[in-house]
Amino acid sequence: MIEFKNVTKTFILDNRDEMTAIKNINVHIKKGEIILLEGPSGSGKSTILSLIAALSKPTNGEVTVDGKRISKLSDDFTSVFRRENIGFIFQKFNLISTLSAKENVMVPLIPSNPDEIILESRMSELFEKFSIQSKMNILVKNLSGGEQQRVAIARALVNNPSVIIADEPTANLDKKLSLDFIDIIKKLKDGINTIIIASHDPLFFDLDFIDKTISIKNGEMI
Amino acid sequence: MLLTPEIISILTLDFVFFVFGTIAFFISLKIYLKWDLNATNQRQYQLEKQSHLVATIIKYIFILKLPMFLFFAFTADKLSNVIPGAMCAAGVVGSVSFSSSMFFFKILNLYIFGFWLVLNSYDLKREDLPYTKYKFLLYCVGFVSLVIEIFYEISFFTSLDPTRIVSCCSTIFSASTPILSFMFQTNKIYFAYAFYAVLLLIIVFYMTKRYTAYLFLNIAYLIVSIVSLIIFFGPYIYQLPTHHCPFCVLKKDYDYIGYILYATLYIGTFYGISGAIMSIIKQQKQTKYYNISLASNIIYALIVSSYVITYFLRNGVWL
Repeated sequence: MIEFKNVTKTFILDNRDEMTAIKNINVHIKKGEIILLEGPSGSGKSTILSLIAALSKPTNGEVTVDGKRISKLSDDFTSVFRRENIGFIFQKFNLISTLSAKENVMVPLIPSNPDEIILESRMSELFEKFSIQSKMNILVKNLSGGEQQRVAIARALVNNPSVIIADEPTANLDKKLSLDFIDIIKKLKDGINTIIIASHDPLFFDLDFIDKTISIKNGEMI
Repeated sequence: MLLTPEIISILTLDFVFFVFGTIAFFISLKIYLKWDLNATNQRQYQLEKQSHLVATIIKYIFILKLPMFLFFAFTADKLSNVIPGAMCAAGVVGSVSFSSSMFFFKILNLYIFGFWLVLNSYDLKREDLPYTKYKFLLYCVGFVSLVIEIFYEISFFTSLDPTRIVSCCSTIFSASTPILSFMFQTNKIYFAYAFYAVLLLIIVFYMTKRYTAYLFLNIAYLIVSIVSLIIFFGPYIYQLPTHHCPFCVLKKDYDYIGYILYATLYIGTFYGISGAIMSIIKQQKQTKYYNISLASNIIYALIVSSYVITYFLRNGVWL
């Protein structure tokens, strides 16, 4: 469960001016829901995602994830929180080009140093799930856009996160790959993982498996 | 006033400490007065951010202060070449009337700032940051002590006069110095007894796991170690019955053994005192701290004792 209580986030700009990214946001997201955050560029969608992932703290208000007041955690604890609870899917995939697909997916597990047998079985499970078993040992720079996207999704899921965050996941994809991505997200709906997608791509509008759409404009919910 | 590269470096760092220390002081005071972790307003979030800034400043002050203490002793020793009459750092430092107070605050600050880091690390290990208010209050106290030390240090360097003849360490650390005369009149073996008695008590209390007493015993060990080094052990290190200077041990002639002695003494007593205080605050034994403390205190005792034994084995007499 994710909860925003009167959350405001203000940034101080270089010229000391203030810019309010989001204002008095109150949101309640249930466990297992798929949420679409939609709104034009600069409306505050990414700010909301960064607050859920504890990448930044609000200026006012409180953010709670699974009962934990993440906006009150110190840096050491937010790192652990992210490692254990959050999976990220980025607009440009953010894969490490010099590593293989398998190594890229393994990266989030390095701090927890899992047993090798468990690790191998988790890798097989994920690569099979996304139909990229044959690409496991290939450098990601040699993969196609669609394959890279699947590797990025596998990486987001590798640590069994309770919350998956996708920031403009289809902004770099053509229509076919975007539809593929939507299909994968649909299959991920299992009532356990909460998925939050920030996008202004019309392909996401009116999808039947999206539980709630939150519209943001100029930092406020509409 | 003398202006050597060493003095300029120390005074520059004093200025930096003062500027950043003052910034940290005002923020610490604000945090102490207004901290409320449960609050979700702008002021509290700002205080949380600022607490990281202040912690970083204090950390760096301590990281620099530790070697600065030794550098100060090194500088004072080097200045003995230009101050007439001075044979080592003792003569240079002893040329001002407030030398004891200056050293008291220098040593006190090492313990305060060191303990601040211990408290800070314990505080950051818990989500509810239980020691935040206390650590910033401690810094406010430490800042006052820091300012006094800086004031003394600046006064010390500005008071140095290369045309004035000062006493050498043999005169300063002798019965002719009023504050030390009663010690020199006492049989010096008693100081050795006192030193080994406190060490024995530390070992006994360690084995019986009565760690709260560690606080007082380590303070006692610090004092008795320095006094016994001057009165009893010093002459064995110098192999000279009349030489009692606690600064000459830092010289090359004695293999810089003073640096090891003072480092082990600081580590031993610091971990002992900090461990005891944390066990009182947390109601939980700090075994790692006690182990380090005991090991370091014993190493100190072994080093100073080795000089006595070696001297006796070589010469067949006690000094």
